[in-house]
Amino acid sequence: MGRERQLVQSVVHVCLAGLSAGMFIWLVASGLTLIFGVLGVLNFAHGSFYMLGAYFCFTVLRHLGENFWIGLLLGPLFVCATGLVVERFFLRRVYPLALPYQLLLTFAFVLIFDNLVKIAWGGGSLSPPSMDLFGGSIPIAGRKFPVYNLFIIAVGPLVAIGLWLMLERTWWGRIIRAASSDREMASALGVRVPALFTGVFVFGSWLGAVGGGLAVPYVGLLTPGMGDTIIIEAFIVAVIGGLGSLKGAFSAALIIGVLSAFGTRYFPAFDMFLIFILMAAVLLWRPQGLFGEAR
Amino acid sequence: MTVPRGVWAATPAIKGPIKIGYQAITSGTLAGYGEFHKYGVDMAVEEINAAGGIAGQKVEVEFRDSTTKGDTAIENCRYFVDSWGADFLAGIDSSGQALAIAPVIERLDRVIIITHAATEKLTEEMVFKKGIRQIFRISTPTYQDGHAAAFLAKDLTAVKWSTVSPKYEYGFTCWKMFQDTLGKLKPGVSFVAESFAPFGTTDFRSHINTILDANPDGLYSTEWAGELITFVKQAKEAGLFEKIKHVMFPVGAAMDVLEGLGKEMPDNIWISGRYFFLYPNNKTNNEWVARFRKRWNHYPAYVSETGYSSIYAFKAAVEKAGSKETKAVIQALEGMEMDSPAGRRVFRKEDHQAIYDVPWGKTITDPKYPFKVMGEQKVIPAKEFFNRPPFEGAGTSPPF
Repeated sequence: MGRERQLVQSVVHVCLAGLSAGMFIWLVASGLTLIFGVLGVLNFAHGSFYMLGAYFCFTVLRHLGENFWIGLLLGPLFVCATGLVVERFFLRRVYPLALPYQLLLTFAFVLIFDNLVKIAWGGGSLSPPSMDLFGGSIPIAGRKFPVYNLFIIAVGPLVAIGLWLMLERTWWGRIIRAASSDREMASALGVRVPALFTGVFVFGSWLGAVGGGLAVPYVGLLTPGMGDTIIIEAFIVAVIGGLGSLKGAFSAALIIGVLSAFGTRYFPAFDMFLIFILMAAVLLWRPQGLFGEAR
Repeated sequence: MTVPRGVWAATPAIKGPIKIGYQAITSGTLAGYGEFHKYGVDMAVEEINAAGGIAGQKVEVEFRDSTTKGDTAIENCRYFVDSWGADFLAGIDSSGQALAIAPVIERLDRVIIITHAATEKLTEEMVFKKGIRQIFRISTPTYQDGHAAAFLAKDLTAVKWSTVSPKYEYGFTCWKMFQDTLGKLKPGVSFVAESFAPFGTTDFRSHINTILDANPDGLYSTEWAGELITFVKQAKEAGLFEKIKHVMFPVGAAMDVLEGLGKEMPDNIWISGRYFFLYPNNKTNNEWVARFRKRWNHYPAYVSETGYSSIYAFKAAVEKAGSKETKAVIQALEGMEMDSPAGRRVFRKEDHQAIYDVPWGKTITDPKYPFKVMGEQKVIPAKEFFNRPPFEGAGTSPPF
């Protein structure tokens, strides 16, 4: 094999790995960003919704046969119920309080959910059987790449477009935007803000849970602490993109995914370091993040 | 003449109960390990107490979560000794923790038997060089993962080796040991690619690309637990096992990995661990495995065996010493031989490392098990490759 062809093969596959990693993080970060953008809540427990999404999806798969798509459809619905309880009975009470109270409350939920998962599913890791989705892997530039990862790469932009259409083009979107920019005014105009917030929170939880469901074949492993690592990455994405900006989160996820893939392959000594350098540089240059609005 | 009674009666040399503080990871992504430890430890305690205890005294074990942090391990040791009144300590999964607690153990002056942490620095530096004699290790050290792998690799046809390993002390040390030893045993081998994955990696795709780019014919990986499961699945998707014929997983024989991967573990992969339930194929081990399965409905993981045997090691040492005082028990443990499910163990006097054999083997499908097991077992005797520290004198320097 010629040296040039080898390089092309390498670069193509590193790009693909980076794109799928980036779009995967975006799926989790989108719900986090939406909830912050509308409700102004930094939801630490979002990683737990991701974890619960994965576990429920796995359980549905186990009881209802091996059809992954049914698991992906039903699993996150259980998490919506969890999100509803969290917002309606707990989070709602701390909206008027300072940010640290929200952080503490949502962090408490992280610990509770981690332990509940241990009680319900056991402390060890669960390894779902590999699913032959879309026929496994296909050769791209002389090397195999799983079709499922191409699917993730495609789903990311679709979710972004869907969210954009919903927020910009629908009546619901207008109401949500109105309520997020001025709660009192929206409420005075007859919008039932508390119910709307519950709805947005549940929808955000669902997005996180879908990320978890998609992780079942993507990561291939479920562990009781799996939400803790992803929430940090999702936070990094949300902060670099500008807290609350979906456009920002999408771009940041893309940049971070590809950058860390290249880092791991070509500058292994600095792989994580590159992300933190990027974060520091962005925050120095634009403290509000790439697409954030200065407050 | 009357028999002396009351205060004049012979007081037993050992006053019970015998309290053992055990710590392992029971939270976070590695929580399963703690559970496996506990199965073995609980079983040993149940058996020993049912048979009359240690020197007639009941055994009590308190189990604590060590997490993965050094300061938690230290805190646990202090709690066990200062607040709970532990006579002995055991457990510890991570090498970092093992090194962190060493000076604390010396000050607390209690014997600890390490059942999982593998760093060779614990026994070489802390015990042999610094003389912290309270520390013993019943599980295999990194020699099993690095040297033994190289002994095996020298007979394979692979000449271009690569690695994907964890990005911390353990991963670096094992890969270096493997390279140094194999380089000496088989001149002409080259090490063409290495990629280190940070703790908690869930996406190995870029690491796999690094390996495929270098086009090696051998892959050595000390990834373990859930990360090894993820790595194998993703490597399979990328066609890595079709391109690389010689693959070695020094911690691949762990039950969580074998059961987790089930039929998805490829055949013909070299695996090993700290203990494997099909070795030795003798009465002691086979009966123990049967008892274990009956009690827990699981095959014993390696930490179940080392946890189990650590409690029996305390029993043997206390009964040999006729005391549970630290000094006496250290003396009893040094050079002590014991039979265990893993076979005969000897605690080497100089560095307090237990010498015992654990096989390497190639994964095969066996209809008797729902997971891959070790076929073609190859035992490299521990005394041949457990690094011989300088204490054995001239003429015994290792051939590697």
